[in-house]
Amino acid sequence: MSNETTIDLACENISKHFSDFTAVDNISFTIPKGSFFSILGPSGCGKTTLLRMLAGFEQPSSGDILIKQKSMVDVPPNKRPVNMVFQHLALFPTMNVEENIGYGLRRQSVPKNEIVERVAAVLDRVGLAGSGTKRVEQLSGGQRQRIALARCLVLNPTLLLLDEPLGALDLKLREQMKIELKLLQKEFGTTFVYITHDQSEALVMSDQIAVMNKGKFEQVGTPHELYYQPATAFVAGFVGDSNRWQGNIESADSATVLVSTSDGLSFKAKIMGDEAMSAGNRVEIFVRPEAISVNRTAPSTATDNQLVCQVETILFDGAKSQIIAVEEESGGKITVTLPQTSDFANLQQGDTLYLNWSTEQTLCFIDSSRGA
Amino acid sequence: MSSLRVTSPFKLGLWLLLAPLCLWLVLLIILPHLELLVFSFTEPEDGSFTFGFYQEFFLEPLYWRTFVRTAVMSIMATILTLLIAFPVAFYIAKMLKGRSKGIVFAMCLIPFWVSELVRTFGWMILLRESGVISNFLQWSGMSAGPVELLYTDATIMLGLVYTSMLFMVVPLVSTLDSLDDSYIEAGYDLGGTNWNVLREIVIPHAVPGIVSGCIIVFMLSLGNYLTPVLLGGKDSLWFTEQIYTQFITRFNWEQGSAFGLLLLLLSSLIVWAGLKLSGQSFAKTMG
Amino acid sequence: MKKINTLSLAIVLASGLIATSAQAAEELRLLTWGGYAPKEVIDLFEKETGIKVKVTKSNNEEMISKLKATRGAGFDLAQPSQDRVASAQKAFNIYKPMDLSKIDNSQIIASMLAATKGQSTVDGEVYAVPHVWGSSGLIVNRATSADITDYTDLCNPAYAGKVTYRLKRPTLIAFAFAMGEDPFAAYSDVEKYTQIMEKVGAKLTECKANVKAYWSGGDALLNLMRSGETTAAMAWDAGGWKLNRDNADITFVAPKSGALGWIDTFVLPRKTKNEEGAYKWINFVMRPEIAAKITAAAGNFTASKGSDAFVDAKAKAQYQESFSASDIDNIKWYPPVPAGLEKIEGKILDRVKAS
Repeated sequence: MSNETTIDLACENISKHFSDFTAVDNISFTIPKGSFFSILGPSGCGKTTLLRMLAGFEQPSSGDILIKQKSMVDVPPNKRPVNMVFQHLALFPTMNVEENIGYGLRRQSVPKNEIVERVAAVLDRVGLAGSGTKRVEQLSGGQRQRIALARCLVLNPTLLLLDEPLGALDLKLREQMKIELKLLQKEFGTTFVYITHDQSEALVMSDQIAVMNKGKFEQVGTPHELYYQPATAFVAGFVGDSNRWQGNIESADSATVLVSTSDGLSFKAKIMGDEAMSAGNRVEIFVRPEAISVNRTAPSTATDNQLVCQVETILFDGAKSQIIAVEEESGGKITVTLPQTSDFANLQQGDTLYLNWSTEQTLCFIDSSRGA
Repeated sequence: MSSLRVTSPFKLGLWLLLAPLCLWLVLLIILPHLELLVFSFTEPEDGSFTFGFYQEFFLEPLYWRTFVRTAVMSIMATILTLLIAFPVAFYIAKMLKGRSKGIVFAMCLIPFWVSELVRTFGWMILLRESGVISNFLQWSGMSAGPVELLYTDATIMLGLVYTSMLFMVVPLVSTLDSLDDSYIEAGYDLGGTNWNVLREIVIPHAVPGIVSGCIIVFMLSLGNYLTPVLLGGKDSLWFTEQIYTQFITRFNWEQGSAFGLLLLLLSSLIVWAGLKLSGQSFAKTMG
Repeated sequence: MKKINTLSLAIVLASGLIATSAQAAEELRLLTWGGYAPKEVIDLFEKETGIKVKVTKSNNEEMISKLKATRGAGFDLAQPSQDRVASAQKAFNIYKPMDLSKIDNSQIIASMLAATKGQSTVDGEVYAVPHVWGSSGLIVNRATSADITDYTDLCNPAYAGKVTYRLKRPTLIAFAFAMGEDPFAAYSDVEKYTQIMEKVGAKLTECKANVKAYWSGGDALLNLMRSGETTAAMAWDAGGWKLNRDNADITFVAPKSGALGWIDTFVLPRKTKNEEGAYKWINFVMRPEIAAKITAAAGNFTASKGSDAFVDAKAKAQYQESFSASDIDNIKWYPPVPAGLEKIEGKILDRVKAS
């Protein structure tokens, strides 16, 4: 990956300031050829501005954008080897499917018969062979999605930018399109830059994800890394579901700390992040619901962290069902995954649960919300 | 039967609701036109039926030439207005945001706060031989003597375009406003130049606005009376002037009626031809 | 019997609506020329009689057209020129006979009253009494164009682009006289009249290059002359005198072939709603001191006996400068226009305009 020729996009210290705020704050990253790169962040984090700078619709205030080692800063959008799938797709309503897909080819003065061939070929590849003469409004949401992709992919761009294109679809179709997008990306081998606020989209499709917050990248890594080794409290909270407590460090050694939460619970946690920790620091700790082992009887061996709770609510959602449990003394709440074993088939409200998990799965970060 | 009973009160209500509109249509639009129609076919001496007043239009070259001239100049004024109004409308709809958009739009409206007569006199003050522009040209040494800018066909054109601008800008702004910026960006993103984007994305989208603006401006120019008469000077021949003359100075209502109906008919034909040429339907444009 | 047509009906309805809304105070709706009902006079009249005067400014053709459209309704008193009364009444039946007993004869110059009565009598009924009289002739800037003494001199190539006149029937008549014809004598002879008009039309077509613009309203004319864009015009005497007050070089000149004299009259529209008010107005404005105020506003003298005494000296001097005794004798007074002449003249005017 470090070989320079395989890098499609490199951003060097790019920033974008608007009159009263900084949308993108000194970001650098590289994207290797053929990968699916997602930028994940809440709305207003600057991801759209970043994408628009890549497309050329915004000029960076400082820094450089290199595509295949060529600076793009002075290249207008229509000259960049970059195409974009817009949030609402922006299929031209005055043109039919064929004309939409052929639009970019006509701009490159491709001969007419070749346009016809290439349009037919790309329609075939996205599974819509023969719908060239349809009008845009005759297509379903999923079909439009594929036409919007085909319209870009027919031009063989170095980089394909996608601006939350699945946002407008209903849930079922969105699940389906996630897989389809990933497969299409693999098939075409084009480098995708995908922005979204939906962590599940990012996790499913991406080779690499950058988590963005307040104009900066919090962490760049594989979905696995982000999920299991979040670099910051923001990433731990934003990617996947977690139980989250705030508390103070009682004691600390080189790798672990003992934290007493504001609920009055006490946990052993693993030190995460770059900052040093010592007794008295305010921290946040994160535990994933699925990392907690749930038993109806007290386990024989002791573990790092344990709690005895009563079932408050069962949130039934098939394989993703969860239990919200309450620790009696403190009243603190915790969410755990409902095990799909016969033991739990008749679980009732008020039943006692024994929860255990390891220090390794209890992630502790310095609480930054106070400083901010 | 039962369905009839259910719908008829509703229909009655609908008709009652439409009654003022129908009354207005019949009393103020249809009846006067029928009246004109009857007039135009009646010989005033003995009340008999005659085609003479229509014949007069086609046999007297002055009349149909005036009509052709009026139509051609109106078409030219329409095209010119479109060419000038389009960039203005695009600028208002797409380049300006928020308050400045409102301000520029209002600036387009301001000339219409005064009557057409006053606006036309304004132009006369500017353009006449002893007027502001002529004096400026002499003062600045660009011209040795007084320059007469009034009383030419170009002046008529200027007046017509100025008078019509708003009626082109408004429909254009509203259609261009409805064009999402992402279409334009997609047009560029896929490799289009300014011209490509304009030609393939902006104009096709704006066609309904262009056509309705053109119809309004064409009809306004064709039916204009003051501007051609005041700015045109001694050679200004405008068909509405003919109609006015027939009705008012000649007391020849029959000939005036025939001219009026011919104007209605021929201008409708031109609009129809324009719609056919641009592949639009009237309903689509006005809806 | 002419049946009521719907166009008229619509107009009557519309004007009826407007009229009813303002019925509260007694009102006199006056259809007249600019300057004939100055605000000062209206105010004095209202103070004396309590009648509000609503003025609509117009010209001969429009007055007749308006009354024709409404069959004589919408106004209580109108002021067409004397020559347009009898013919319009015969053709369109839009006026109501005058009750001369309600008019104070002693205030009106007897000879003018007699002349107007004579010309506006139809089937034994008198339809008009005189109000303002004046003439059309030449307005000349003597500093630059002193040699223009007759209408046809306006076509002198030396003044190319420097003259203006109206493209209307007075111009046709004036040029006919200047070309040695007598159009008034030919009024009843359609063939002869057409012939004269053809000749005049040819002359005006030839003369067109000389014309800066055909003026259409009094203000347009005054602007053209005042700014020096034109140095000679065929126009009304009052316009010339008005210009003369600002620029002594410009004045009204009675042409060699004779100024064209007109008398604007009072007539009652057939469906006048305030006949009494109309008579009151006529008697009021014919008082010498009131008539002098109208002379000051309109620039023309009235048929009011003794109003000369109240007219300012400058106006009298201007009048005397423009008209010698022989000029006054030479004034060609418009006789009543027979129906149908407008069509002959219209064709000629169209042709001149289109050439």
